[in-house]
Amino acid sequence: MVAARANWKGYIKFGEVACAVALYTAASSSERIAFNTLNRATGNRVRREFVDSETGDPVEREDQVKGYEIENGDFVVLEPEEIAAAVPESDKTLKIEAFVPCDEIDDVYFDKPYYLAPDRMGADAFRLLRDGMRQAKVAALARTVLFRRLRTVLIRPHGKGLIGTTLNFDYEVRSAKEAFEDIPAMKIEGEMLDLAKHIINTKKGSFDAKSFDDRYDAAVAELVKAKIEGKPLPKKKVSPPSKPSDLLQALRQSAGLKSSEKTKRPAAKSKSSAKEPKRAANSKRAA
Amino acid sequence: MAVRPYWKGYLKLSLVTCPVQMMPATSESEKVRFHTLNRETHNRVVSHYVDAVTGKEVSDEDEVKGYQRGENDYVLLEDEELENVALDSTKTIDIDVFSPRNSIEWIWLDTPYYLSPNDPVGEEAFSVIRDAMAAEDMVGVSRLVISRRERAVMLEPRGKGIVLWTLRYGDEVRDEEAYFEGINDNKSDSEMMPLIQQFIKKKTRHWDSKLVSDPVQDKLLEIIEAKRKKTKRSAKAKGAEPKATPNNVINIMDALRKSVEAENRSGKR
Repeated sequence: MVAARANWKGYIKFGEVACAVALYTAASSSERIAFNTLNRATGNRVRREFVDSETGDPVEREDQVKGYEIENGDFVVLEPEEIAAAVPESDKTLKIEAFVPCDEIDDVYFDKPYYLAPDRMGADAFRLLRDGMRQAKVAALARTVLFRRLRTVLIRPHGKGLIGTTLNFDYEVRSAKEAFEDIPAMKIEGEMLDLAKHIINTKKGSFDAKSFDDRYDAAVAELVKAKIEGKPLPKKKVSPPSKPSDLLQALRQSAGLKSSEKTKRPAAKSKSSAKEPKRAANSKRAA
Repeated sequence: MAVRPYWKGYLKLSLVTCPVQMMPATSESEKVRFHTLNRETHNRVVSHYVDAVTGKEVSDEDEVKGYQRGENDYVLLEDEELENVALDSTKTIDIDVFSPRNSIEWIWLDTPYYLSPNDPVGEEAFSVIRDAMAAEDMVGVSRLVISRRERAVMLEPRGKGIVLWTLRYGDEVRDEEAYFEGINDNKSDSEMMPLIQQFIKKKTRHWDSKLVSDPVQDKLLEIIEAKRKKTKRSAKAKGAEPKATPNNVINIMDALRKSVEAENRSGKR
């Protein structure tokens, strides 16, 4: 067994019952392609420097403090200890404040997932909570100080263990209703809907993260190669949007209802359909 | 809403294409934000780039991306050139697979975005794709280049729009076995199940964004206000609650009973 190091240790408390748990990072982020920023004039690399906006003098890290702007250019200066004082002292306890039906949870609030496993003692209480939530189809909400920040954590059963997902705060999430308010209400029915449903069903498959490849680095490497060799760089072409007047026709052709010799399938299409058997073979994930 | 779109491009289902725009579902704008100041002068601290060799300031227009091909050997790449990288997924979300809505586990969800039509000409096509997914209870799976990476993305209808999630890469999600294998397969005590169900039921609430409010932000604003008034800083944040101690096996039942009783007494909604 890989002795994974816990990122946090504490307790889950529900009512009067508590169990010791350890929390582990469940997902890490991989790096994106890194470019260096260069000075076009000299070709040298550049480095970042912090300077006073008025005097232009460099400001060392220890001379940098946080300021909250109260009115134009007027700041309240806060030392790190003062900011830290707003965070309650950690009691190392994920105290369950409420349960929420799984199908009501708004996933847009999700931040980062962590695995939660029992830490030595208390595995009975852990399993009881897990199985109880699973049976009731609920997840739990708890609040605690994690990594020096007060976080709301959504706890739910996952296999033999639990997953705790940190949630973004209400003011950090844009309202979907407001974001979509400018979209005209348009209810699609009849042949159009039937055709689109048919197309969807011909493209049924499952997502398999393991077989997904990020092609961006390779594409950039190709671009660079073309540039070095002095070849013309590719120009992007996109298929024109379907006009409302052509929409039904486009749907019919897509659904394969009309002989569509004129229909040119984009190159990317055939590539991805070649992958489909592999995806289908992995459909066990869809359980 | 006057939010500048984060990305503009096309949504495509087979031969149906419509112009769309996208914005992050999360935002920092309502957060208490601090600026970095120079402690000596209380002026803002700004960052700029200087040439690593000459030490001279480099203006924005002289900054250019360099692709490293050897030590101290770079190929310069302009942003416009990068946009022409030979991938359709920089500009087009071509949905090539549809899956049942709950088939993609939550652990794969990375970052949410709101996707909406960008031009009246595409509103009907957008609505067709959205409503057909909703009618079939399916989500779409596609690819999209975001922040210089090609991501698997999931599209889910929501109200009049579509939520687009970037999905984590296969090697980003750690194998749960390594963490959960120490948990034994014993079923939990069936005698306790009715009690825990009772407890859960009493503490179950409807989802509400109030459940994710942030008392720290309010506290911060208080601290700032107090300091602004040049009064002494407000009293220290309240002390920690007593530490919980793990119960042993025998008294879980008692503790559960007490918990349910407490919930009964509190005469909650």
